[in-house]
Amino acid sequence: MTSEMITYICKRTVVSTKPAQAGKCNPLSVFDRLMEKNHIRIVYYFPSTRNGEPGVVTKKLRESLSHVLTCFPIVTGRLQKKDDGHWMIKCNDAGVRMVEARAQGSVEEWLKNVNRDKELMLVTWEDMFHKPYFWATFYVQLTEFEEGGLAIGFSCSHLLADPTSATMFVKAWADTTLAGTMLAPPFFHPLPPPRLGNKNPNHNPYTDLINHYKSTIDDRSPAFTNNITNYVTATLAFSGPMVQACMLDTSRPSPFEAMAGLLWVCVSKVKGMKQGLISMSICLDMRKQLGLDKGFFGNCLVYNKVHHAESLLDKSELSEAARAVGESVTKMNNERIMDLIEWLEHHDYEFPPLMNGHDLICANLEDLDPYATLFEEGFVPIRVSYYVEPVFGIGQILVLQSPPSEGPLSRMVMVTLPADELSKLCDDDLILRFNPTILMG
Amino acid sequence: MPQTLPDFSNSVKLKYVKLGYQYLVNHILYLLLVPIMVAILIEVLRLGPDEILNLWKSLHFDLVQILCSSFLIIFIATVYFMSKPRHVYLVDYACYKPPVTCRVPFATFMEHSRLILKNNPKSVEFQMRILERSGLGEETCLPPAIHYIPPTPTMEAARGEAELVIFSAMDSLLQKTGLKPKDIDILIVNCSLFSPTPSLSAMVINKYKLRSNIKSFNLSGMGCSAGLISIDLARDLLQVHPNSNAVVVSTEIITPNYYQGNERAMLLPNCLFRMGGAAILLSNRRRNRSRAKYRLVHVVRTHKGADDKAYRCVFEEEDKEGKVGISLSKDLMAIAGEALKSNITTIGPLVLPASEQLLFLMTLIGRKIFNPKWKPYIPDFKQAFEHFCIHAGGRAVIDELQKNLQLSAEHVEASRMTLHRFGNTSSSSLWYEMSYIEEKGRMKKGDRVWQIAFGSGFKCNSAVWKCNKTIKTTTDNPWSDCIDRYPVHIPEIVKL
Repeated sequence: MTSEMITYICKRTVVSTKPAQAGKCNPLSVFDRLMEKNHIRIVYYFPSTRNGEPGVVTKKLRESLSHVLTCFPIVTGRLQKKDDGHWMIKCNDAGVRMVEARAQGSVEEWLKNVNRDKELMLVTWEDMFHKPYFWATFYVQLTEFEEGGLAIGFSCSHLLADPTSATMFVKAWADTTLAGTMLAPPFFHPLPPPRLGNKNPNHNPYTDLINHYKSTIDDRSPAFTNNITNYVTATLAFSGPMVQACMLDTSRPSPFEAMAGLLWVCVSKVKGMKQGLISMSICLDMRKQLGLDKGFFGNCLVYNKVHHAESLLDKSELSEAARAVGESVTKMNNERIMDLIEWLEHHDYEFPPLMNGHDLICANLEDLDPYATLFEEGFVPIRVSYYVEPVFGIGQILVLQSPPSEGPLSRMVMVTLPADELSKLCDDDLILRFNPTILMG
Repeated sequence: MPQTLPDFSNSVKLKYVKLGYQYLVNHILYLLLVPIMVAILIEVLRLGPDEILNLWKSLHFDLVQILCSSFLIIFIATVYFMSKPRHVYLVDYACYKPPVTCRVPFATFMEHSRLILKNNPKSVEFQMRILERSGLGEETCLPPAIHYIPPTPTMEAARGEAELVIFSAMDSLLQKTGLKPKDIDILIVNCSLFSPTPSLSAMVINKYKLRSNIKSFNLSGMGCSAGLISIDLARDLLQVHPNSNAVVVSTEIITPNYYQGNERAMLLPNCLFRMGGAAILLSNRRRNRSRAKYRLVHVVRTHKGADDKAYRCVFEEEDKEGKVGISLSKDLMAIAGEALKSNITTIGPLVLPASEQLLFLMTLIGRKIFNPKWKPYIPDFKQAFEHFCIHAGGRAVIDELQKNLQLSAEHVEASRMTLHRFGNTSSSSLWYEMSYIEEKGRMKKGDRVWQIAFGSGFKCNSAVWKCNKTIKTTTDNPWSDCIDRYPVHIPEIVKL
């Protein structure tokens, strides 16, 4: 049924308009190298535009993509291993792959009946080839809906970009299509270097964060398990007032902490934990903490395990969960991240880890601002969905921004769990107390 | 140190001797005329005015004799002017600039090759080696149908490419020259490998609504030298039709000819041929004389098809799997050299100054009569031409011609840079090269240009143009955004 709804027209390569400087190479940072096993998929849904002719919008977008690629030589480059065995990008101008497709019906109809599998059909992706030098790291799919609307599917290897960078790239593309210039040019430079000079001898590197990374790197089990779990994704939209209510209940100042706490408690229940909470790690963007510009292109997401108090005698589970999340967030400051970077620089590993392979991952993607991506004047995306693949282990929660029409406090949460657990989650009392609208799943 | 000095002074002396010899032989008539005139003048002065008057009266002219002689003079003059061939002027030309989005960097080309020829890594390696040594740059363009994975060379796509290239070039030409479509009397389109029905010339007539009594021709199958064949045809037609405009469109449509098999000899064109086209306006109208850029002086065509090896050296055929491709034989360069020699033998006497021809004749006689071991004299064509446009068929072709004609790097710069920026655009490459020379500001009034093209068959065609007015640089040409970056140094092997 689904395969008949989407027809693939063609696949081609889009290159930049100006040749890249020959011989330029960009090494990948320690954070980049950790993410080798993952890839990101994003789907933007746009409403119908004035141009009724099929193919016109695709052509315009393809041309503007060529122009924007001139400023992103890393995106059109290819992976190669340096002499020391670490990855680098050779800016050889090879281009990004683009797939063009057509879908029946309209965007609005599609969104009513969409699920994880269908949505992933809107984003093309190819796993790394045996010879990565000929493997495209970025993929774009443009699907025009016959009765109106456009879906832009964007996927890339997590080695080169995190969701912030990916969103920034698509925004730059939109700016170039709209006005011919980018509003926020990208910054390609390495992570802040390790501090020179002798540190305070009493300085105790924050071992919890480093330990978390150490255990993840040493944990080889996801590589061996045959992932036959059928994961399903649901998108839950929490309105502004509901998020506010949750924040009040948990007495946390930040919507992310409140939402993360809520989901943590509910997922633990669904997994069958009678007491206590399942193992969870949060994933945050550390650009501000490291003093990096928002346009920093590359990986800057750091994972940290959340520790909660075992006994919950005098506090409600929800507040404790949210408090624990808040404590984890506070602990991720500049000094500790710099320690982590230093530790990672000095510790090589043979096999790349799977950062989201064991714990329940809760990622804060609130500040990405994808709804500011306008390809045409006045046409705001109806919805933007994010996927960080592949999902292993307990599951994944992504806390995203909602469309601007819903208000600044509203949030969209994309939860990926095994199929049976997800259906139980959507029926859970605690979740239903906050009255989420189930957009998908 | 003392070893080299005598050689240097010797070579300087030799240079002056050569210069003196050339000046003497090339201007022999003037040099003989001057003493004769001086002698007559002295004689006249010596005789004095009265003596001359007496001389005049003694001649006894009567009216009939005067009338007859003047009629005779007028008659001979009329016959001379009527039978002089009409001058053919090149008013202007326009080259097609492919859109930047059709650009094919080396890395993309190799990746696509790898994806399409999955089962033949050796063929992919071969293509990579060709590309490394090809002399092409990163800005050459292929038509949209070839960018797909896998390529979709349908007839519709080929027609699409033809419309894109030809109509853009024509629009540009009409705008540059101010020509109205209704004023086109002769239309010649040449495209070697794509020949649909109705022809490409019919396509042009349909699009621009040309006159119903237009003389249109469509040349196909004639290879990369078809551009000069079209010019030759236009020239002959303009001799027969007075007061006419002829438009020549030279292009090569790449879409249907992308070889998708594995035969090595047939993979070469994939690496070298790129999208391009040119539209040229020729005219024999008097009023175009002052605004025309060039005047066509000679066209010399040489065909070596009578020789079997030459005939088969560029051959379109099916490979073992039934896929059609153009196979290039290994002795292509040798045959090209032979064809060039033939062409030079014909064009030499037409263009070389008397000094070179005399030297060549002397050496020829000397070799035949005195000593066969004398080295054959290669005439110095640099004295006959200021600019050379060698068809950018490939790096090997340009190297070979540079060696044979003893040209300097600056003479072949236009050809090499065109190969780098646009690739081998077949028959239109000569016009990109002309455009390069003009945009560099090197084309001055009176400069002579030699265009040489090779083509399947095997043919070697030349055209000689004389520049009519010093050409100013413009902005509406394919080199406008990159001319400042050129010339570039093209390495022997580009590491991919």
